[in-house]
Amino acid sequence: MEKLKKYVSVKDEDHFYHQGAVELLIFNFLLILTILTIWLFKNHRFRFLHETGGAMLYGLVMGLIIRYVTKSPDVESGTVYECEKLKSGPSTLLINITNQVYEYQYKREISHHNVNGHQGNTILQKMTFDPSIFFNILLPPIIFHAGYSLKKRHFFRNLGSILTYAFLGTAISCIVIGLIMYGFVKAMVHIGQLKQWEFHFTDCLFFGSLMSATDPVTVLAIFHELNVDTDLYTLLFGESVLNDAVAIVLTHSISIYSPKENPNAFDAAAFFQSVGNFLGIFAGSFAMGSSYAVVTALLTKFTKLCEFPMLETGLFFLLSWSAFLSAEAAGLTGIVAVLFCGVTQAHYTYNNLSADSKMRTKQLFEFMNFLAENVIFCYMGLALFTFQNHIFNPLFIFGALVAVFVARASNIYPLSFLLNLGRKQKIPRTFQHMMMFSGLRGAIAFALAIRDTDSQPKQMMFTTALLVVFFTVWVCGGGTTPMLTWLQIRVGVDPDEDLKARAASQSAPNLDKNTTKAESAWLFRIWYGFDHKYLKPLLTHAGPPLTSTLPEWCNPVARILTSPRAYGDQLKDGDTVYIINNDELTENYESSAHIAVPAQDSTASTQATGKEDIQEGDLGLGGCKLQLQHTAGQPQNSLA
Amino acid sequence: QLLGCDCAQQLSRGQDPGAASLLREGSSLWGVLVGVVLRYGIHVPSDVNNVTLSCQVQSSPATLLVNVSGKFYEYTLKGEISAQELNNVQDNEMLRKVTFDPEVFFNILLPPIIFYAGYSLKRRHFFRNLGSILAYAFLGTAISCLVIGSVVYGCVALMKVTGQLGGDFYFTDCLLFGAIVSATDPVTVLAIFHELQVDVELYALLFGESVLNDAVAIVLSSSIVAYQPAGDNSHTFDVTAMFKSIGIFLGIFSGSFAMGAATGVVTFTKLREFPLLETGLFFLMSWSTFLLAEACGFTGVVAVLFCGITQAHYTYNNLSTESQHRTKQLFELLNFLAENFIFSYMGLALFTFQNHVFNPTFVVGAFLAIFLGRAANIYPLSFLLNLGRRNKIGTNLQHMMMFAGLRGAMAFALAIRDTATYARQMMFSTTLLIVFFTVWVFGGGTTAMLSCLNIRVGVDADQENVGVPESERRSTKAESAWLFRMWYNFDHNYLKPLLTHSGPPLTTTLPGCCGPVARCLTSPQAYENQEQLKDDDSDLILNDGDISLTYGDSAVNADSVPSSGASRRFVGNSSEDALDRELAFGDHELVIRGTRLVLPMDDSEPPSNVLDSARHGPA
Repeated sequence: MEKLKKYVSVKDEDHFYHQGAVELLIFNFLLILTILTIWLFKNHRFRFLHETGGAMLYGLVMGLIIRYVTKSPDVESGTVYECEKLKSGPSTLLINITNQVYEYQYKREISHHNVNGHQGNTILQKMTFDPSIFFNILLPPIIFHAGYSLKKRHFFRNLGSILTYAFLGTAISCIVIGLIMYGFVKAMVHIGQLKQWEFHFTDCLFFGSLMSATDPVTVLAIFHELNVDTDLYTLLFGESVLNDAVAIVLTHSISIYSPKENPNAFDAAAFFQSVGNFLGIFAGSFAMGSSYAVVTALLTKFTKLCEFPMLETGLFFLLSWSAFLSAEAAGLTGIVAVLFCGVTQAHYTYNNLSADSKMRTKQLFEFMNFLAENVIFCYMGLALFTFQNHIFNPLFIFGALVAVFVARASNIYPLSFLLNLGRKQKIPRTFQHMMMFSGLRGAIAFALAIRDTDSQPKQMMFTTALLVVFFTVWVCGGGTTPMLTWLQIRVGVDPDEDLKARAASQSAPNLDKNTTKAESAWLFRIWYGFDHKYLKPLLTHAGPPLTSTLPEWCNPVARILTSPRAYGDQLKDGDTVYIINNDELTENYESSAHIAVPAQDSTASTQATGKEDIQEGDLGLGGCKLQLQHTAGQPQNSLA
Repeated sequence: QLLGCDCAQQLSRGQDPGAASLLREGSSLWGVLVGVVLRYGIHVPSDVNNVTLSCQVQSSPATLLVNVSGKFYEYTLKGEISAQELNNVQDNEMLRKVTFDPEVFFNILLPPIIFYAGYSLKRRHFFRNLGSILAYAFLGTAISCLVIGSVVYGCVALMKVTGQLGGDFYFTDCLLFGAIVSATDPVTVLAIFHELQVDVELYALLFGESVLNDAVAIVLSSSIVAYQPAGDNSHTFDVTAMFKSIGIFLGIFSGSFAMGAATGVVTFTKLREFPLLETGLFFLMSWSTFLLAEACGFTGVVAVLFCGITQAHYTYNNLSTESQHRTKQLFELLNFLAENFIFSYMGLALFTFQNHVFNPTFVVGAFLAIFLGRAANIYPLSFLLNLGRRNKIGTNLQHMMMFAGLRGAMAFALAIRDTATYARQMMFSTTLLIVFFTVWVFGGGTTAMLSCLNIRVGVDADQENVGVPESERRSTKAESAWLFRMWYNFDHNYLKPLLTHSGPPLTTTLPGCCGPVARCLTSPQAYENQEQLKDDDSDLILNDGDISLTYGDSAVNADSVPSSGASRRFVGNSSEDALDRELAFGDHELVIRGTRLVLPMDDSEPPSNVLDSARHGPA
């Protein structure tokens, strides 16, 4: 008899397990369907539906089916058991059920009004992932890939603008959304849809910060396909990547913000604590991410690992993942760490990898990004029907849509105006409209919203965020191509061609150079100098050998740290290259009328511009070693 | 949990700089080190966080809501706990955290390893030795399982007499143990073979055996577990239950096989222009196989193995070159990571697993048993196979195969799956020791053994093929018996054209009545092949001259073909020839198509091959 019972229980467990396989299978089929559809669309060049949109659509359909077709087979789950003896919620619970002991693991605390929701359909429950999966498994590859594939050349050229949009812009957008939502909440309280004490101003700000994370994958994919102007592409992409990091940390600091007495009153101490928190977490994550990348760079530089691409790729992958895990373990934000890790890996480590590993890492992360993104969007569609505690409030949703657009406008237009004052190469009106238009919300907003759905305001926020994502991805994403033609933004620009064309057009080479030069302000200039002279030679095989850039007394150390290849680059023919370069420069120099320099110190100033020009080269073609070679010759020449 | 992950990761990172063949020793060594540190270096005060309560619950629901003084907590079912484990649960929290759920191995770590094994089977040599490999894998595993089971049973009986046994240990348990440790996994040896370019035949035999072996062992162990004699007296022999078990074995095996093969066949794509989509689809389809098989109650790992083989055989040819690279590299990386993870976890488990039962007698008995089992597997089967094979398996090769019976990830995963009873815990501890011993000692001694046995190294697979004298070629053909021959014909004439872009168009191979259907199913590229076949004639003529040239030279082939009928014959046999080629160069589409173009520049071997098939053609 006992035997039989055990057998039955094994059967149950098997059944339980098979259920898990079925759920994953459903997801797999959805993704397969998505891929096939997208292939069909791409083949016929329909651009109105990106793969993410398609994934969402299928998720929605599947959610509908699960919701209304399947029936709950299990009645008992959801009964609440009273336990007087327990004083707290232990992490494991052993329950003795008719002489068989079962182990239960603590999952979470549930608030009172959610208890009823748990009595519902078990299949719906099973189709709901643990929110931490998004943050720990699905988002890191997406974010890392974003960092790893930042187009460095254009990114660094527009760094100032991008940082402004990302930091200032996100803050503005967060506050604006928060204020507007607060207004709507007040109105809702007034007409009696909401009770006063439920929705604080901090909640509104929380909503604002999570809705500030833009994610224009759809738009960027179309841009990429159509070869839209690279500046626009870079601005949007850079903004959206950094944006996410800012929004995540901002959300975190707002949720920590807890004034002492009155939750609605302003508390300076708590506010500054939050700000400090924001800065601390951001800086810590940044440091963590980049230090892991630096370690990877050093490891790949000083070992002969490049003979085994497999090991190299494995190491690269594991170290990048460690950046995430150790940031999480240290209480920082793993995603931000992983982002900066990606950027730094791309900047330094990538140059050290063997050609095979370069390909492998790129493709690996591209693939992971692709899968993770589609899973998230698919799940979003599913969640609209399977999530059990939706609170749809039309007024709130309407308010959120309005707030999102107003905030985007107050982010882009004023900041662009300010930036245009400083930039020589203005951001034109059409670009501003396009940037305004491509403020899609995506995976990050969703992940931030689903993280905490315990209280009623949070549930309302989640529902609203979901709808905003749907709306923006389908409507704004689908409307990108018409919008591009409407705004007459030029398409079909080859980035390299573009650059060459600019460089080649003799009429305004210096003007052009000057503008980009002016944009990257002195701070970045110093950074580039430092990066090129010390960091690059230290971490990669490129650049001038450290022995020449460091002061004399560091020579022994420098000799150890410089890779033999850097000496090789030490340019036996560096001089000749430089001389040619120099000639070209003076030629340009004479023909240009813009810069009026006294003729007598022409040589000296040529040296100076030569330096600048070289830096420009680094800015422009950061990844190319060849370009860097002139620089190596440069100090020698100035010595001579 | 995060910390645990990180730890394990540090390990597998630690061994990275090592040479490829030393990876496993390295990773398991690191695992052992960290295990020691965790066990003895870190002391976490154990709180009183486990209280056994008695409640009015009738069954065990998947989720449990508990109301504790006004707050609701949600608990999820983790598993059932046997009575004697109850005390151990209260133990060190840290150790508990680094102990993974055993199902993780089966559902996350093993599938990529197994899939990769299937995907990278060297098909040419694999199919040439298919008969021997199947014999070793099926018969051999069954023999090994039985031998180990009986030896261990003897050992257990001895322990019972001396009173060392602390719990029940039935014959079925012994058989289960036999099934578990029958799964050989000679990756270390294979890595060394690959590096030293050992005899391909040996490589193919070992690799093919170990891959199929795993599948057989999994299904075997699950059917032994399912062996439930009717009536009260359990653990006595029951014919019906045994037949039921055999039925389950066959059912699960064929079901998994069918499912894997089916998905492999279904994944035929035309997404060539979008490598990313293609790779994604490939990955998802392969994973779906696993999930589908699991959902239907078959064994996902076995399904994934056959899926890998089928994918490699058909789908791989359809992929764009970039996707081919991508999929290979992706699965290579996954395999690498998963394997190292398992091995470092093994080292960790030696110290962190809480219910080890080390019994010296049993361990010694088990070691004896696996050697006897391996010997009873290899030597008699090789003898029998050598009766049928023209290309004998040499005695030194047999010794090497005997020596290469390492146990690895699969045995570990099977053993850790169920550690509820005393017998299972003892089996787990013993398996762990066996894995360590075989990996460290045998894996480390491979190179020494190779030189000791005088097995030739540095053989280039393609080179060797050219150098084989005529008689040997025929022998390989003889080895692939009529069954396989039929299968090849079928594969080449119908399946390949249906599923890939290569081969003769279906319109020519199918009977006339199926014309319209055939036209739909044949890819346009196949017609190009057809065109190539058409202008083959001119090629053939060139070829022909070349052949007759070499023909005159060669003294081996004494029989002459009437030169008048030669060209006609060649046309007739060209498909047969292609068939043969395909066996040899199965994975190179280009080579197949280009064979005739290449021929004139080749040395004398291929033409003789053509002639050979020409002679065999009518038969």
